[in-house]
Amino acid sequence: MSQGVLRGVDRAAFAVALAGRLRRAGVAAGLTDVDDFVRALAASPPDSMSSLYWTARICLVRRHADLAAFDRVFAAIFADPPPLPRPSRSASPPDAHDDVYVRVPADTDDSDSGGGLPWATLPPAVTETPAHDTALLLPERRPSALSGLADRPFDELDSAQVAQLGDALRAAVAGWPTRRTRRFAIGTTGARVALRPTIARARRTGWEPVEVVRERPVRRPRRVVLLCDVSESMRAQATAYLHLMRAFTVVADAEVFAFATTLTRLTVGLRHTSAAEAVAQASAAVTDRYGGTRIATNLRSLLTSHHADAVRGAVVVIGSDGWDSDPPDELAAVMARLSRRAYRIVWLNPRAGAPGFTPRVGGMAAALPYCDRMLPAGTFQDLLVVARQLQSVTCTDGRKWPTLTPAPRIIA
Amino acid sequence: MKDAQAVRHCLDAVDYLVDDGMAMALFLALRLGRPLLLEGEPGVGKTAAAKALARALETPLIRLQCYEGLTAGEALYEWNYQRQLLAIRLAEAHHTRLTDADLFSAEYLQERPILRAVRHRGPVPPVLLIDEIDRADDEFEALLFEFLGEAGITIPELGTFTAAKPPVVVLTSNRSRELHDALRRRCLYHWIDFPEPARAVEIVRRAVSGATEPLIQTAVQFVGGVRGRELEKPPGMAETIDWVAALSVLGVAGLAADDVALTIGTIAKTPDDRAVVAAALGAYQESQL
Repeated sequence: MSQGVLRGVDRAAFAVALAGRLRRAGVAAGLTDVDDFVRALAASPPDSMSSLYWTARICLVRRHADLAAFDRVFAAIFADPPPLPRPSRSASPPDAHDDVYVRVPADTDDSDSGGGLPWATLPPAVTETPAHDTALLLPERRPSALSGLADRPFDELDSAQVAQLGDALRAAVAGWPTRRTRRFAIGTTGARVALRPTIARARRTGWEPVEVVRERPVRRPRRVVLLCDVSESMRAQATAYLHLMRAFTVVADAEVFAFATTLTRLTVGLRHTSAAEAVAQASAAVTDRYGGTRIATNLRSLLTSHHADAVRGAVVVIGSDGWDSDPPDELAAVMARLSRRAYRIVWLNPRAGAPGFTPRVGGMAAALPYCDRMLPAGTFQDLLVVARQLQSVTCTDGRKWPTLTPAPRIIA
Repeated sequence: MKDAQAVRHCLDAVDYLVDDGMAMALFLALRLGRPLLLEGEPGVGKTAAAKALARALETPLIRLQCYEGLTAGEALYEWNYQRQLLAIRLAEAHHTRLTDADLFSAEYLQERPILRAVRHRGPVPPVLLIDEIDRADDEFEALLFEFLGEAGITIPELGTFTAAKPPVVVLTSNRSRELHDALRRRCLYHWIDFPEPARAVEIVRRAVSGATEPLIQTAVQFVGGVRGRELEKPPGMAETIDWVAALSVLGVAGLAADDVALTIGTIAKTPDDRAVVAAALGAYQESQL
């Protein structure tokens, strides 16, 4: 075996230069890490590329997320070293520098293209300082593919795009507000003294309560119940609403139901790990898809079922266009009952986003006085807004009873 | 040990097989005297690494299992309050005066794992395993800084204890939360990947002595294939070993037998995963017919 791959190389200069490269590639390699690396190189001079790789990786990388960037930088340097002098990318006239210094590719700052050996340290490597004004420019913002899709109506999207937007929706729901429960759990930040654990621990100290254990209230996600219409008139929105329901099921432990002529509980099916599988299971579970609508009957069957308790104190979200084959006064009656039990009722209407929309459909007009909000939900952009709006609906701003808006507001 | 190969041979002798990266990580941790932070998917042998290292060095393994609410009293040291109270009552009975220095002396100190590692007396420093550090609270990480940085513990009443030979510290994390940068800075870091098939076969062969060679190979290959699917918890080496052990206890020769479907509970630990693995197994058995 030869003396090693780094024979005759200044270890400190090599380590610092490699760490510099890594920092430019986004790996947080600090001075402690460089120190470790130099000592490791001294302790066991690497005899092969593989051992150099492992020594560098173990000493300079401190988190899993940085491994890919490290591999890239390492490969760029060692996989295929280019011949020494390469024209610098920023080939500006050398009037700013003395001619005494020879420019070597040590710091040519083309680490992204991967050129240059980082240990060429003599003669002193002086390069022009990179133009700082370019580094301070704001990145150019272009609409991502996602936001482009988000503005399109549901019926223009294919299933892959819907799935992609479903993920975005899940991320938007992620910060779902929590509420304080009446239960307490041990926590160092708590204000209350937890009597039982404190006494239990005092046993060790001859019943002197030396260590005081504290407890804080447990917080749970604010309850949310979603009901989505999957009748013929809502055919275009059905899959997208399934993704919305899945997002709430996974993040906020929501109870979710689909209805057309009968009510189907989808909570269990939509909790599946795989989004495609969950939506497929939910679609299979709904037998009365694309039929007529009986909103009042379905809401009543929810209120009489054993899931009725899930509505208590919950934010109830109903996604429907309000076309109902039940009489409007029946819907008004059941909505009144629902509004007494629920914390807030939010109605998502796919047609509310259209210009000049007024809720003239019988069912919608009857239900509107009992809704706290009616929000448009015709595109994914709308649903993303809904996810944020719902969080503000649940927020009480420190008041115990938030002011109830007598007439529902239409936010378009 | 003079280089990574020597570490590898020592661990091989205690039936723990490592690749180049792991050998280098353990060697550097021993040579530089730095703590080693191991991360990886569950079941790749993070805890087993520390145990094997202790066996290879022929030194005690001191284990600290982290959990939410772990405090200094359980990790570093604690005063023996009962004995202190007894001493006070005795002193009262004998009408003698006690000072603080009498009460807070080494006599009344109860060692917990980290202090025990620091005060260990012996030719070889002990291996201290701080297991699943991500389960402990953020505040607990800060408690460890002095120990990880200087291999010492300061007890206000007594002074600072510093280890004569710094103990070999191995921390493991399952990444259920991100560890603080200050902790990472004090440790060497190694991410353990699933072993490549040849080494996985060798590991299973050593762990399950009764299993036949074709069974081990097909099982390892099958588990490797299943890991690529959408699973909540991909099966690790520990699960593979359990599975092969279960199969060899049942006397199954290959994966085509009917009994195999009954044993997938050893590699799939949730109902969803069970369905995925059962489907994969069905497809495999179809292809074998």
